[in-house]
Amino acid sequence: MAIAAPPAPRPSIWTWIWDILTTVDHKKIGLMYSAASLASLGIAGILSLLIRWQLAVPNNTFLTGTAYNQILTIHGAMMLFFFILQAGIAGFGNFIVPLMLGAHDVALPRINAFSFWAFLGAVFLVFASVFTGGAPAVGWTFYYPLSQYENTGVSLFMAGILLLGISSLLSGANFLATIYNLRSAGMGLWQMPMYVWSIFAASLLNVFTLAGLTAASLITLMDSRFNLTLFDPALGGDPLLFQQFFWFYSHPTVYVMLLPYLGILAEVASTFARKPLFGYRYMVYAQLGIVALGMIVWAHHMFTVGESEIFQTIFIITTAAIAVPTGIKLFNLLGTLWGGHLNFKTPLYWLLGFLATFTVGGISGVTLALVPFDYQVHDTYYIVAHFHNVLMGGSAFAVFAGLYYWWPKFTGKMYDEKLGKAHFWFFFIGFWITFLPQYALGFLGMPRRYYTYPDGNYLWNDLNMISTVGAMLLGIGGVIWVWAMVKSLFWGEKAPDNPWGGTTLEWATSSPPPSYNFAVSWPKTFSTERPLYDWKKQGLEPAPINPASIHMPNPSYWPVVTALGLFLFLLALSTAANLAWLLPGAILTMYGLFNWAAEPEYSHPVEHHTLSGKSNAWMGMAWFIVSEVGLFAILIAGYLYLRLSGAAVVPETRPGLWLALINTFFLVASSFAVHYAHHDLRRGETSPFRFGLLLSIILGIIFLMVQSYEFATQYGHMTWEENLWVAAFFLIVGLHGLHVLIGGTGLALSYYQAMKGRISAHSDGTLEAGSMYWHLVDAVWLLIVLIFYVW
Amino acid sequence: MNKLRGKRLLPLLVILAAGGTQAQFTVSIFDQGSPFNREVGSLMLITAGFSLIVFIGMIWAIIHVIVKGRKHEGEEPPQFSGNNRLEATLFAVPVLIVIILFVATIETIGDIDFHSQPENALVVEVTGYQYWWDFVYRETGVRTANELVVPVGRPVYFEMTSADVIHSFWVPNLGGKTDTIPGQTTRMHLSADRPGVYYGQCTELCGPSHANMRLRVIAVPEEEFEAWLRGAQNFTPVITGASAQQGQQVFQAQCASCHAVKGTNAQGVIGPDLSFMGERTTIGSGVWPNTPENMKAWISDSPGMKPGSKMTAFPNLTTQQLDDLVAYLDSLRTENYPDLALVEE
Repeated sequence: MAIAAPPAPRPSIWTWIWDILTTVDHKKIGLMYSAASLASLGIAGILSLLIRWQLAVPNNTFLTGTAYNQILTIHGAMMLFFFILQAGIAGFGNFIVPLMLGAHDVALPRINAFSFWAFLGAVFLVFASVFTGGAPAVGWTFYYPLSQYENTGVSLFMAGILLLGISSLLSGANFLATIYNLRSAGMGLWQMPMYVWSIFAASLLNVFTLAGLTAASLITLMDSRFNLTLFDPALGGDPLLFQQFFWFYSHPTVYVMLLPYLGILAEVASTFARKPLFGYRYMVYAQLGIVALGMIVWAHHMFTVGESEIFQTIFIITTAAIAVPTGIKLFNLLGTLWGGHLNFKTPLYWLLGFLATFTVGGISGVTLALVPFDYQVHDTYYIVAHFHNVLMGGSAFAVFAGLYYWWPKFTGKMYDEKLGKAHFWFFFIGFWITFLPQYALGFLGMPRRYYTYPDGNYLWNDLNMISTVGAMLLGIGGVIWVWAMVKSLFWGEKAPDNPWGGTTLEWATSSPPPSYNFAVSWPKTFSTERPLYDWKKQGLEPAPINPASIHMPNPSYWPVVTALGLFLFLLALSTAANLAWLLPGAILTMYGLFNWAAEPEYSHPVEHHTLSGKSNAWMGMAWFIVSEVGLFAILIAGYLYLRLSGAAVVPETRPGLWLALINTFFLVASSFAVHYAHHDLRRGETSPFRFGLLLSIILGIIFLMVQSYEFATQYGHMTWEENLWVAAFFLIVGLHGLHVLIGGTGLALSYYQAMKGRISAHSDGTLEAGSMYWHLVDAVWLLIVLIFYVW
Repeated sequence: MNKLRGKRLLPLLVILAAGGTQAQFTVSIFDQGSPFNREVGSLMLITAGFSLIVFIGMIWAIIHVIVKGRKHEGEEPPQFSGNNRLEATLFAVPVLIVIILFVATIETIGDIDFHSQPENALVVEVTGYQYWWDFVYRETGVRTANELVVPVGRPVYFEMTSADVIHSFWVPNLGGKTDTIPGQTTRMHLSADRPGVYYGQCTELCGPSHANMRLRVIAVPEEEFEAWLRGAQNFTPVITGASAQQGQQVFQAQCASCHAVKGTNAQGVIGPDLSFMGERTTIGSGVWPNTPENMKAWISDSPGMKPGSKMTAFPNLTTQQLDDLVAYLDSLRTENYPDLALVEE
């Protein structure tokens, strides 16, 4: 049933590079993400060996002081931001999710390419710090005010995180739109494979909470570069507000680092036990429970900052309670294996290893909810052991389960089972030898992030040495892993379509799949999450269709150009002494965007039929807006806190209300204008449409001009370095101004499309998304008038 | 003393102790010699019990699955997809465990009442600096650094802040940690049941020498403590010997802008108070033993010994000047400093 791609002549290296730069194929993008994230794992893994080498013996001088902290920071940042947050989601997810849904591509293919290039830009920004004065040495958590004391590389690190945030949000919105819109007809939400559900849940968490990280890193960047901050105690600011912002994202994100992997393991369990999932619905509910609870556990990272006990009590409950849905996921994985006839291949080894290891990590996680105990072990090696237990012995094990499971599908080659299992055993044993002693070190009082320790504290020398030996075993395991992959790529046997007897749709195409994924029309009956198994029982078969009738989006280099522009812009923002250097990046970004908008996505006019009835642009933008609402919500919550606690005092000279009211008129009027313009477009009335759109853009420009005048006046009276309220004003109202600029750009893109004849009643994605965004900007403004001008 | 404490560790650590080295300090959160750790100890026993049950259950199930699953590689197993009653049980049991742990935790929090000021407490103001600790006994105004003498059995209430970045104050054998935050005051209380020298340290990443920001809490019987504190309160250095007197002049010229010595003109507040330097067991914030050699090396090149140290290097001091300085610093002792040899054994 698989349709083999026609044998192509071996392409030259330049064609190959050009293909990578311009591809919008979700599979290639998924592989690019996977390769980049696994390379990050490799590099960060080598860094961890350096760390363990330094700590092998007391008073070692191999890697000390700032150098140690830099290695530590890069190790953490790469492992978290570039490896574990990417591999199982943007990496495997991009490749597998559309296949599992039986779709030809993701909802927004060019946005997807842009997400990848923005992600790569973020990696380069962080690495750029190594060449411009040194890598950050503040830990991946970049606490305030340490980030302002040890500030090498901090600005670039922050810029990288901001760019990564944009990438993750677009990627998350894209997944949500894909899952909502592009499921094969007949596949209800309750028939989706568990991996798809888990990507759905992780994307939800991402769009809901990423704002916290954006707020924390944005203010840190603004502080480093322009002394614009809400955290500086000298100004009455609160360093703990940074931690609130940071952990509001960074705890939920550990579930972003877990959920997709539980999804992978569910697929592995079902396939290798040859059984349906045990308690499918409970697993989904548990997952959504984790999403909901995950958003309200963050403060358990802050039990030692002296918060009130009532505040703590709430987070004790949620932190302990989140163990319940997590436990349900584990029990159901076991239940799926229970009574199964196991096929002992490498992915199953990783699953079994995960179950044993993660259980311990989960238990040690619950103990962190026990506040007095947490007072003791917080920031010790107990914590290091715990989070490596859940992330390394947990999620990373699941990465390998997924990697070996889908390797034949990714590459078209089989891997060597013996090497895969050797890799597993080295990692499993190495993991325990490395991290079990670290639990004990925590009990024995060794804090984390120490580059050295005194000679002779009870068992410190011994346990550190054992841990280092374990790390070396992990290193050997890593070498075996790389060898297993290389061997398979060059000398591996050709993989069959469905080597494991998998029952989800990705196994119903060739390995690797052709660019259009499937040339079939699927049966409309989906009884469970295992369509291939069910159809076989029901005697249903996909009907072949002519591949020539499938239209795929054209390759485009505008996403990579736009991402490059944004990269240059952020590079200048974080390092350039003269802000004129912002211009090249800004111009390139705009140039990329406008050409992107003008370029047709498909060569042939394509009618999109989406399951939800909403367009892909609408669906993507809707989720993006959720995250934008989150960003303003979290910043405004911070502002309210500072204001109500008396820290931020409104100065005598503040921006006048009358100007804001005039601006409100402009902005509200423009919202109506764009609404009617869209209406006119849908009715095919071209001239009124273009007039209305132009009017909205002009109103937006007037708004920005008035606001610039107001900002300049305020800055003349009193700067953000003098008063916390003024700092909050410039930060939040200024950020809104930036959103007006972005929204106005979106409208201008539509206008440009209209000029180029690229927009029509049926192809109005840019305007639809742009006008939604414009209404959001408008709504936020009304709130801002209330809390910054009226109050 | 330390050996004795080792015996009180929970059995787990006793097992680990096989092959342990001769200990300088037995740092342990299982040390039952403080009210805090006793409370946490009983909370942990309950938790450890549940943890063990869950862990053994899981491992048993994994082994069961492997053993049974091995038998029939090949044929298709029965296709069951769930069991509502089992799911309900597997939901209810963890919920129950979580509730029990929650109640136990809330009770322990109430019993410890970590952030409130106990009656009769000795109040100490702590300020964290990159990379050392400043201590002020509130009632008497006695200021010292990095080594804190406290009375046995009497709670010590810490009011803490930071002069620069966030640090965290932790003495594992006595109890939990609390962050010191610039611009804010955080509070906690600790108490030692037995005399001893207790090892402490910074636990929040604070810069290149985060690992070199250690401290000692020296717990001595109440009478000895009071005697020492009185001596410290009324301290004026009595400098005898030519070398020490020379040293005082060097100190006045080179060190006094940052360091203070009680009862002299040296009143710098940037660096640690050195009033009782001769008594201190360590230098560099608990990192090196307070020996003349170490002290000379430290003065000559502090940033070289301790990455990021804010103390400038004094490479131009002559050997004679260094000797004099060390003699002077060594002479800075109160009358009634407790005999640490007695405290430790």
